[in-house]
Amino acid sequence: MDIVKNAVGPAPRQGEQDDLASAVVSRTAFVPLLGLGVAFYALCVHVADVDFIRLVEGLPRLAGWIARSWPPDLSEIDVLARRGLETVAMATVGVSFGAIIAAPLCLLAARNIAVSPLLALPARWLLNALRGIDSFVFALIFVAAVGLGPFAGVLGVALHTAGSIAKLWAETIETTEPGPVEAARMSGAGRLRVFLHAQLPDALPQLSSILLYMWEFNVRASTVLGVVGAGGIGQELKNSVDLLQFDRVLTILLVILAMVTAIDQLSAWLRRRLS
Amino acid sequence: MTPALAISGLSKRFDNVIALADVTLDVAGGEVVAVLGPSGSGKSTLFRCITRLTEPDAGRIQVDGQPVDPLGPSALRRARGDIGVVFQQFNLVRRRSALANVMTARLPSLPLWRVALGRYPQALREQAEEALRAVDLDAQRDQRADTLSGGQQQRVAIARALMQESRVLLADEPVASLDPDAARMVLALMRRLAKSRGLAVLCTLHQPHLAAEFADRTLHMRSGQIVAGADDA
Repeated sequence: MDIVKNAVGPAPRQGEQDDLASAVVSRTAFVPLLGLGVAFYALCVHVADVDFIRLVEGLPRLAGWIARSWPPDLSEIDVLARRGLETVAMATVGVSFGAIIAAPLCLLAARNIAVSPLLALPARWLLNALRGIDSFVFALIFVAAVGLGPFAGVLGVALHTAGSIAKLWAETIETTEPGPVEAARMSGAGRLRVFLHAQLPDALPQLSSILLYMWEFNVRASTVLGVVGAGGIGQELKNSVDLLQFDRVLTILLVILAMVTAIDQLSAWLRRRLS
Repeated sequence: MTPALAISGLSKRFDNVIALADVTLDVAGGEVVAVLGPSGSGKSTLFRCITRLTEPDAGRIQVDGQPVDPLGPSALRRARGDIGVVFQQFNLVRRRSALANVMTARLPSLPLWRVALGRYPQALREQAEEALRAVDLDAQRDQRADTLSGGQQQRVAIARALMQESRVLLADEPVASLDPDAARMVLALMRRLAKSRGLAVLCTLHQPHLAAEFADRTLHMRSGQIVAGADDA
């Protein structure tokens, strides 16, 4: 009997038995969970109406459009460049407005500096709601409210981005070192002074990096806002696709590519400098 | 004469664990009292309860004759300004200069914009420079905290406590993160400041020989109680 015991090693202790039990449960649950996942994916494929035959049938049409797009139509490159600039401006102003909205929200939502849990919870709900609705949807609503043009896009970007920035900023603030905060609290200072003095300097590079990333992301995202009438190069793209002007579409795509690449590079360089 | 720090019957329990049991002690101005004891003996809880960073269950705390235990949040904030604290891990703002870290002590009196921009009034700057001179760090005043050595960082933390102009200095394992030479330098500095400024210093240590060398009195803690040394007062 002892030989058997030695062969299987010492009897597991209570904690190990619990780990063992949960591992067995995990393994038992894995197969039905995998089955459930596969079933859900199959349902999604069905609901999304995935039909590769239609894709194959559409390929010659697509190839025809690609063929018609060459050479790109550069006759209105100045107009398209201006529209590209409009997109960059829409994203830049939208992100700046979003940051202004996000600043107080993240202070309310960050658990380690929240004034009160009673305020932290609604603040988190609000930022999750803002984050949950895409800037495209907000822009659609604002086009109806303030009319066609980039200002509707600015407002759409601002609201959605406010939620995203506030969430990321709050998480960054939550990871700041507690020691300096404790030392600042011991001076008798209030929460805002403690935050500005002891937390902000250490969090600032990361906060700025998040802001730059959101700017870069929104320049990309704003290229489609024109589809709902919110101005920028997206509006030109929609018009050209509607009129089947594929040589113009190619020019627009090249402008978008150049613009997004330049912004990505600039933002990445700035973020590298900050870190 | 009223002791600078007077504690009586201080108790704290975490669930079933007694962290502090009826702790009573006094520290006079100009006196250095060391608290020795193994990890978990209640030394850090004692310090956290004195500053009420942890709320004690019972007991009286007086700083300079003023009771701290019954104070509400805003009065407590003001009272904390009368207690200088030096932490084991220094607790400096890493990306701020030594001078800005010393200025931490004066945060409550500064307008928000000055706090945010790190622009301090000239009179306060001179005072902070003087505090840094007192710990022999005036040459490093503009150096970022995270570029200083451990011993230098702890001296900045002491200067921060001096800037508060409090009569009480609590030092929680102030030399635990330092090499022996830096540890002796920091303890000698605290003793010198206690004697020259009439500062009451309560300091937790792990090394009995350092306590014997630098403290006027040594208390021993075990299981949340002072088991030796309290009667020497």
